[in-house]
Amino acid sequence: MNKQENINRLIDDALKSADDIKRAAVKPFLLTRIHARMNKGKESLWEKAGWLIGRPAVAFTGLCMILLINITVVMVNKPSATDYAVERSSQQQLDEFSYTVATIYEIDNTQQNDK
Amino acid sequence: MDQPELITQLQLGDESAFTKLVDEYQDMVYNTALGIVQQADDADDITQEVFIQVYQSISSFKGDSKFSTWLYRIAVSKALDHEKKKKRKKRFGFVQSLFGGDGEEQVHPVEFDHPGIQAEKKESAAALFRALKQIPDNQRIVFSLHKLEGQSNREIAAIMNTSLQAVESLMSRAKASLKKELNDYYQKNIT
Repeated sequence: MNKQENINRLIDDALKSADDIKRAAVKPFLLTRIHARMNKGKESLWEKAGWLIGRPAVAFTGLCMILLINITVVMVNKPSATDYAVERSSQQQLDEFSYTVATIYEIDNTQQNDK
Repeated sequence: MDQPELITQLQLGDESAFTKLVDEYQDMVYNTALGIVQQADDADDITQEVFIQVYQSISSFKGDSKFSTWLYRIAVSKALDHEKKKKRKKRFGFVQSLFGGDGEEQVHPVEFDHPGIQAEKKESAAALFRALKQIPDNQRIVFSLHKLEGQSNREIAAIMNTSLQAVESLMSRAKASLKKELNDYYQKNIT
């Protein structure tokens, strides 16, 4: 018998192999598993949210987002060197040309008025 | 309880009718799924999904077709959806592995050993199931329903919502495709 004849015989055997096939049996407690699956589908929104947040990929991404937002806020609100210089010079001006009346005079005046 | 009464009770939400339905049709649904996905655990998952779907949508069953036809239709469609999801996962696992991930989602095909095949035919049947995986979905469904579930061409036409001629044509194409796949396989593996 040559190779192709042998192959043809194997092909016929393969095609006939399923002719008197018997049904496979389902694993026991199928109904229990179906009920468990149905109840799983009924879990609350918070349970679903908890499950979602608890996933490592989501938790890690969330953490990265929070860190990124924090860093951005800090960087945006960081006072620049120019801001500091302007604030410093205006403070110096206020100090130099201060029109603040010394409190001691007010006290003296009050005492004179009382008399 | 006869079938129309069982369906009426199911539509009324009777739990004992659902238990009876699962008991009566579980082998049919499981074996249909098993013939398509060729994985016992996956077929078990699909069987559960099918019965949940039946429970949720029994009100939409109007009795235009036989109940078993409706059930076969759901089982075949769920099994095909499952196959598509699995292929997507496989592709995603491959992409993950390209980017240095361990690709744990990758699915490795294993040789299928159907528990209902006689011991002396196991080797030939394994080659047949391997070839079945390679042929187009429509041809695979027709062949599986006919050979594994013993459905007639007329019943298959009702399940697939197509004509009898279309089923006959699909069946002959399935046989030709299987012969070609088997020939390729044996050419490579027989010295």
